[in-house]
Amino acid sequence: MKPVDLVRKLRREPAFKPAALDRGKAVLMAAVRQEVQPMRRPTIVPRVPYEDVGAALSFLERAFGFREVLAARGVRADGGIDHTMVEFGDGMIGLGAQGAHGAFSPKRAGTATQYIVVHVDDIDAHHQRAVASGAEIVSRLHDHLRDYRVYEALDLEGHRWRFLQWLQAVPPTERR
Amino acid sequence: MSSPPDAEVIGRSLDEPEAFGLIYDRHAATLLRFLGRRVGAGGAEGLVGELFRIAFEQRKTFDLSRTSALPWLYGIGSNLLLKHRRGEARRLRASARMAAAGEASDKRASAKALDARLLFQRVAGAIEALPDGEREALLLFAWEDLSYQSMAEALELPIGTVRSRLNRARAHLRELLEPKGERRVKPR
Repeated sequence: MKPVDLVRKLRREPAFKPAALDRGKAVLMAAVRQEVQPMRRPTIVPRVPYEDVGAALSFLERAFGFREVLAARGVRADGGIDHTMVEFGDGMIGLGAQGAHGAFSPKRAGTATQYIVVHVDDIDAHHQRAVASGAEIVSRLHDHLRDYRVYEALDLEGHRWRFLQWLQAVPPTERR
Repeated sequence: MSSPPDAEVIGRSLDEPEAFGLIYDRHAATLLRFLGRRVGAGGAEGLVGELFRIAFEQRKTFDLSRTSALPWLYGIGSNLLLKHRRGEARRLRASARMAAAGEASDKRASAKALDARLLFQRVAGAIEALPDGEREALLLFAWEDLSYQSMAEALELPIGTVRSRLNRARAHLRELLEPKGERRVKPR
């Protein structure tokens, strides 16, 4: 038998799952989006450390409605997420593996050393979504004077988030 | 309704990046099978997005006088596969075992089965031992059935060079498959 015919005998068709092409399309379109609308670079970007960045990301998306900036994702050799960024409104934070840059998750450190304030448009809907997704509410939803409506929640590693909605149409910058 | 050729779509995508999605819709299934033959289904599903991301980022380098983007995409895939030699070798050895098992059940003769096992192991080993350029040309030809013209576009070589590279690959294979010769192909 000719060598090329022998080589042909080793040709074997792979068996793909029905949605095999979906992931690839998502990767391509993320690159396309990145070019159409390049990643914003705010002046200050807090980086929040997590023990499990992948689990934290899906929680923050599900419970708080944050959106990952796909182009920012860094993946480890084992396929897990090492770091990434999430956006909400015009804000942006980084999620990173704890231990890097001397920062640790409250889950490991036993205490939080900061909390993050997030302004939302519809605090009641936001609260409902957080509760439904299993966020631990540590300060119940209430009105603060007549200024804003607010609640605080812990994420799955114990970082504290303060969500609030201004009740009067006064720009927050002029109120501070 | 006629759809615009690839070159037109890629040309348009220089100003309208979203247009490149159509190139994926047209060719991703072909490239996924190509990658899958080389590194298996799981590996290919991860690589196909990477392949098109690279193609998208390099789309300015696509020669717009070519109508089909397929050979160009094959070329990007071939380069990508160079980083996945271990996965390729693993799949090739498994394919050799399966090919041998297929032959054995056809013939039902244990001596022949043993022969087939040795033969296909040797073929797999010979493919692995080929220099990268020859292996790539050989597999594009034998497994993907690309024409010389398409191979030349994929490997960015003149047609004459593709022919001579394939001939060298054939000669090397013959050498490697000879039972008495334990000679190995020298790396480039």
